[in-house]
Amino acid sequence: MTTVDQTSPKPVAIPKKKQYQGLQREQAKWGWIFISPWVIGFLVFTLVPVIATLVFSFTNYNPVQPDNTQFIGVQNFLRMFQDAKVGKSLQVTITYALLAMPISFIFGLLLASLVNSVFLVGQHYFRTLYYMTSMIPVVAAGVIWAGVANTQTGWINLALEAIGIKGPDWLNSVVWIYPLLVMIGLWGLGNLMLTMLAGMQGVPNEIYEASMIDGANGLQRYWHITLPLITPVIFYNLTLMLIGIFKYFDMAYVLKNGTGEPNDATLFYALNFYKNSFEYNLMGYGSALAWGLFIIVLVLTALLFWSQSRWVYYAGEGRG
Amino acid sequence: MKKIYILSTFLLLLSILLAACGPAATEAPAVVEPTEAPAAEEPTEAPAAEEPVEEPTEAPAAEEPMAGEATEIRWFIGLGAGGNPEEIEREEAFVEKFNAKYGDKYKLVMDVVPNETAYDVLKTQIAAGDVPDIVGPVGIRGLASFEGAWLDLSPYIESADYDLSDFDPALLDFYKFGTDSQLFLPLSVFPSAIFYNKELFDEAGLEYPPHEWGAPYADGDEWTFDKLRDLGMFLTVDANGVDATMEGFDPDNIVQFGYDSQWQDIRADWSHIGAGSFVDENGNAVMPDVWREAAHWYYKGMFTDYFIPNDSYVNSDLLAQGNPFASGKLAMTAVNLWYNCCTEDVTWDVAAMPSYNGNLTSKLHADTFGILRGVEDPDVAWEVYSLMLGEFAGDLVDVYGAFPARQSLQGDALTSLEERFPGVDFQVFVDGLAYPDDPSHEGLMPNFLKASDTYGTFGSMYQSTPDLDLDAEIDTFIVELQEVFDEVE
Repeated sequence: MTTVDQTSPKPVAIPKKKQYQGLQREQAKWGWIFISPWVIGFLVFTLVPVIATLVFSFTNYNPVQPDNTQFIGVQNFLRMFQDAKVGKSLQVTITYALLAMPISFIFGLLLASLVNSVFLVGQHYFRTLYYMTSMIPVVAAGVIWAGVANTQTGWINLALEAIGIKGPDWLNSVVWIYPLLVMIGLWGLGNLMLTMLAGMQGVPNEIYEASMIDGANGLQRYWHITLPLITPVIFYNLTLMLIGIFKYFDMAYVLKNGTGEPNDATLFYALNFYKNSFEYNLMGYGSALAWGLFIIVLVLTALLFWSQSRWVYYAGEGRG
Repeated sequence: MKKIYILSTFLLLLSILLAACGPAATEAPAVVEPTEAPAAEEPTEAPAAEEPVEEPTEAPAAEEPMAGEATEIRWFIGLGAGGNPEEIEREEAFVEKFNAKYGDKYKLVMDVVPNETAYDVLKTQIAAGDVPDIVGPVGIRGLASFEGAWLDLSPYIESADYDLSDFDPALLDFYKFGTDSQLFLPLSVFPSAIFYNKELFDEAGLEYPPHEWGAPYADGDEWTFDKLRDLGMFLTVDANGVDATMEGFDPDNIVQFGYDSQWQDIRADWSHIGAGSFVDENGNAVMPDVWREAAHWYYKGMFTDYFIPNDSYVNSDLLAQGNPFASGKLAMTAVNLWYNCCTEDVTWDVAAMPSYNGNLTSKLHADTFGILRGVEDPDVAWEVYSLMLGEFAGDLVDVYGAFPARQSLQGDALTSLEERFPGVDFQVFVDGLAYPDDPSHEGLMPNFLKASDTYGTFGSMYQSTPDLDLDAEIDTFIVELQEVFDEVE
């Protein structure tokens, strides 16, 4: 028995088909022309530098003495394993990640829940207010926080002093500098809050209504409905946060003038990379460090993606 | 339509080609002329970064000035002073004056880059083969950041029979950095002395420190660092008006300090007490005895006697966030002559440095100009350089309010300073030139940039952490410094 595919287009005459292909080509051509600014930008400002760093990572390239450049094989990569500063910078970055990720994440989630609450008066006002701090330039924020955290005249210690507590030396203590950086980081949670909020608002109301009929209280609804249904947004934010923390540079640079002080406690991986590349002029080694960072972040992100099948719920999953 | 398509495609391909054929960082600058450079400057093997090294070639004919046309000389400003609006105005006037006289041969043009980005911009220009003709003013750290990239001026000095008798021979030697190559000519020098706040001394009923080097203090005591400590403690006051010599002094609420060595790193701080270097004669890391003693003196001043502000106080609002003397809450600061720009709101004068174990030291800073090896035409660059630091040296130091290294210009410079700051005894600085720190605290070190970073980290920890076992910390630091030295051959 022969079946006829009702959806198939009717046979068309060859000249018309050719005409159609010509139109497609014309459209593709104009498509390329229109996206050419991006393509050129990508080639010049992304692809070429990426390839250049890969080439440099196998050389002793020094921008001040470019004529002395030599191919040195994998020496730069081997050096990374012997360089104590690389180990230290990884330790600093991981310490900060362990502290900042959960705190920032929970704070952002709670903030999103707060501004999503129907009981909050002036929701829009608070959403704008909480988002505003993330629009402050990092350099300005760094200068402000350096003053706020000053041991003698900073607001934090003056407030602590008012209640009889002697505040720590936030900026110069290898212990207290991390809580300070986390605190500063909370200023930049606007985007996380917004995406979480969007995720929460995307949860269908009928699910909440059904659960209420079943007698679920607010906490149960939050734990068993809201959180599972926003896991894709949580996953998205976790991934961005992880990548962001391994690239963490600007605030550490501004706050301590890029010195890595106190006692290398702010020598983040990206700062160490910067110092080698742009302060010590070891651009070849710096390129190797950049690729090292890429590999670390790639592995961690891959692990995160691998883990998502265990805890991220996609509502549309399994549908044909 | 077809034309537009062809044009667009052509532009796209051209852009990609331009990007691909842009100045590869590993290429030898195409315009480098073979010069009488020392062996170390000879082109090395072709870099393995795929790009073949181009043979040094002649500059393209199109870029050659036509007969009778002035050669453009690009003056890169930004590694040191020279980037603030007042200085730029004076630099423009300098350029105008220079071009008015030599405009038929040279056209001097300024390339001013903000200090924050100047180092990266210059590195990029060198890597791209777009090397400026003259660079300056620049201090030692700036010079060291481009170590190996500077042109040896010795052959040019020799062939021009350039008169160097106006310079202090020690200063000329300093700019050889232990080699036979004269890499720079001195432009300006900045001896150091004690700036003191007259109002705070008057308020405390204290006599001013002596202006004459080696003279005693007004009460007949020798003017030593011990005496400075005594005065400093007396001038250090807490919020309750109790000074640091008295019972009940509260070190957590100090509102006025006695002494600081501001805007200095530890090499500079310690050199006020005595000259030293982290590098011994064999190139190994070492802590000179006098610097160890100086380290203890300063550390005790910060965390036991409290007359020197620690890092936290220095960066507080109380002390103008890092400019203590200008805050009016600091009685004395040891700093170089270049500081005279920032003290308009304080009634101040200068005194001689105190002695330590009978020795006087006025640690010296020096600024200069340089020519980079990759410059398009080193002969022309040298001609202009020698004029700027020769015939126009007086004008150039005036631009920066500096003190000239040329001895013949120092008298006029002193008069000029006294006119700008009436009542300030600048003769103290001139006399201080007789006590320079030798070896210089700014001397080069193996792996200079990383070594500087290493001692900077130690300095920060030392200036901000009480209760250290200082000798043990110093020993650990010297071991770390040696490791940094060992990273380079």
